[in-house]
Amino acid sequence: MLIETPDAGLFDELFDKDNRVRPHCRMLEKWLLESDENLIAEKRREADVLFQRLGITFNVYGEDQGADRLIPFDLIPRIISASDWHKLQAGLRQRVTALNRFLHDIYHNYEIVKAGVISAEQVFANSQYQPGMQNLKLPRNLYSHIAGIDLIRNNDGDFYVLEDNLRCPSGVSYMLENRRMMMRLFPELFAHSPVAPVEHYPNLLGETLRAASLKANPTVAVLTPGRFNSAYFEHAFLARQMGVELVEGADLFVHQNKVYMKTTVGPQQVDVIYRRVDDDFLDPLAGNPSSMLGVPGLYAAYRTGNVVLANAMGTGIADDKSIYPYVPDMIRFYLSEEPILKNVPTWQCRKKKDLQYVLDHLPELVVKEAQGAGGYGMLIGPKASKKELETFRGLLKAHPEDYIAQPTLSLSTCPTFVDEGVAPRHLDLRPFVLSGKKIQMVPGGLTRVALKKGSLVVNSSQGGGTKDTWVLEDDLC
Amino acid sequence: MLSRAASSLFWMARYLERAESQARQLDVSLNMALIDVPEDRTEQLSVPLLVSGTYDEFFQHHEEITPQNLIDFLLLDDQHPASVFNYIRNARDNALHVRGNLSADVWETINRAWLDLKVLQQEGVTESNASSVFDWIRERSHMFRGAAYGTLLRNDAFHFLRLGTIIERADTTARVLDIRHVMATKAMEEQATQSFFEWTALLNSLAAFEAYQNTYGHSLDPTSVAELLILSHELPRSLHSCLEEIAGLLERVESGSAQRARRMASSLYANIRFGDTAYIEERGLHDYLVDFLARIQRIAGQIQKDYMGWHQ
Repeated sequence: MLIETPDAGLFDELFDKDNRVRPHCRMLEKWLLESDENLIAEKRREADVLFQRLGITFNVYGEDQGADRLIPFDLIPRIISASDWHKLQAGLRQRVTALNRFLHDIYHNYEIVKAGVISAEQVFANSQYQPGMQNLKLPRNLYSHIAGIDLIRNNDGDFYVLEDNLRCPSGVSYMLENRRMMMRLFPELFAHSPVAPVEHYPNLLGETLRAASLKANPTVAVLTPGRFNSAYFEHAFLARQMGVELVEGADLFVHQNKVYMKTTVGPQQVDVIYRRVDDDFLDPLAGNPSSMLGVPGLYAAYRTGNVVLANAMGTGIADDKSIYPYVPDMIRFYLSEEPILKNVPTWQCRKKKDLQYVLDHLPELVVKEAQGAGGYGMLIGPKASKKELETFRGLLKAHPEDYIAQPTLSLSTCPTFVDEGVAPRHLDLRPFVLSGKKIQMVPGGLTRVALKKGSLVVNSSQGGGTKDTWVLEDDLC
Repeated sequence: MLSRAASSLFWMARYLERAESQARQLDVSLNMALIDVPEDRTEQLSVPLLVSGTYDEFFQHHEEITPQNLIDFLLLDDQHPASVFNYIRNARDNALHVRGNLSADVWETINRAWLDLKVLQQEGVTESNASSVFDWIRERSHMFRGAAYGTLLRNDAFHFLRLGTIIERADTTARVLDIRHVMATKAMEEQATQSFFEWTALLNSLAAFEAYQNTYGHSLDPTSVAELLILSHELPRSLHSCLEEIAGLLERVESGSAQRARRMASSLYANIRFGDTAYIEERGLHDYLVDFLARIQRIAGQIQKDYMGWHQ
């Protein structure tokens, strides 16, 4: 099969700037060139059938049950060299350590605020700050046991952190199933490539969750909003792989500030809840009173220290876009180290100087709501009409504190199967970082790919797909 | 294990067993309708409706019982709860609810059955391909059982799943025996050849024809048939075998203070185990089976109270 070469000026994962194949990707190129189109088309169909059969579908709220959808899976793996991963891993460790330190600090001693690194207003007036978490002692001072860090690779070839996900990051089951699928469809590829394994992720997760409690042999459960949640498959998958119960709110109750599961032999106390339910829905008595997903009294039990939530409540403050620009400073402040991973330069419109810069360069920038999520209320300067630019100019002047701005980054590309053949498409990477007794992660993470030509939107809800992510165990191949 | 999970496993297995049994009933009834005299056809075709308790419901959807109407109604109609389509849909829904307690093999078997069934519903089933669809349903049920036996831990998840299967099976055997024994006896009083087919139909719809030949090796007679289907400890669908397994499972299920279902099942099991044909005949087969059905339903209800209906 022919491989379409990437656009000049973009970083491609397979080809270097002179369109030569990167040394660590040669076996992939060879495989692609040797592969027959019909065979690949057949394998793609086979993968679809297998995913359907496994039930790896996601539901879209409001659609009828028959409409279980598959997230498109691309057969061409994304390869990360051993040396790149080595650096990424160190950077992720450093970043997540600092973020957990920050969370502990802002709910206890406020050192970082006292030192003037971040203003008190930006922390305490942030809607994600949970005053109820103040002075609550958590085992090992851990808040974000499971973090998903979204990375992109820019034109310069460097990885940048686009976003930290410290609440309930999802997608790890796709990482695992994508690998299983690739090994099933193309065993011969793995025979000749030193691909680092990822299959032990559930083990590490189980270890991390058990370490989240100080009890010797804690009972762990996965709390899901239920089978109509888009990530239900993942919740069930992880519970099964870890050998713990998958519970819904109605399976739990709180008695004398302890949390119990309703079992066939009576109540059984739960020590650690890996919750995939948002803060606000965890306890109707403390958060959203109409929540049917939570457990009345859970918050009180949590405050008493009788149950550990992973992740902790109140982690949203640390992955907020308005806090994001300070992460490099956090690393310097808590760890006295220079950040290994780059942040995307960010202008905070709340600052006068930054606002002026943003207004002057609006057509080149991406403007985001500081506390928004999912690409709503966003301006992509280079693609915006005159009218949109003017609207945002008005918004920025009226409420500068609600916005941040960043340069328009181009995501790196990787060859991807599309209708026209094999062509470069943009992608990102979400590694999953586990914090327990120590920080652990499996090599790689989830690679999401934008399937539309030129598109930078990798979200599955907007037509993005996924790829298997290969981290090489050594680059000498 | 979680009460909710126990309940889902129980119902998942019940629905699958019900789907298999309904396919068997349909298969036998449609076959019998072909060899029956025209005036008896309707009676033949009404058996699956009587077994599933949907006789009245059927006439809200159709004016008369024809093979095609029956296939449409009991196989693929999603507008009422007693179709194979909805049994498998419910089984799959329950399976989805307990994904965490199922092996990948069991889940995939059920999920695949559901995906294929949706295609089947779109394509439609006629008299001419109905038999192969019945075979397919039976095979799905066998695969489910095979996957469950081959891959599940023998813990309470497995026990509750088996309880669902076996309670459904006991219920079916008693119902089919009750309805078809009357038909066969009546046929015997009228003409001998027809009665042979009637007895065969009864045995076939419970997968027991070959077992009968093996066990008795002589012509079909009402007492031996009832004996086989109720008292045999060898036949997997006999009431004896079912109760033996139910009582055994309830012994093994980890139990807190709940003992009632266990006691009720042991008592019914003892009744059958030490029963004989003379007692059944004295009682009258119909009354015996009506009493049995009431008791098995009480046991099923008690299992749900003891283990699944959770009271703090």
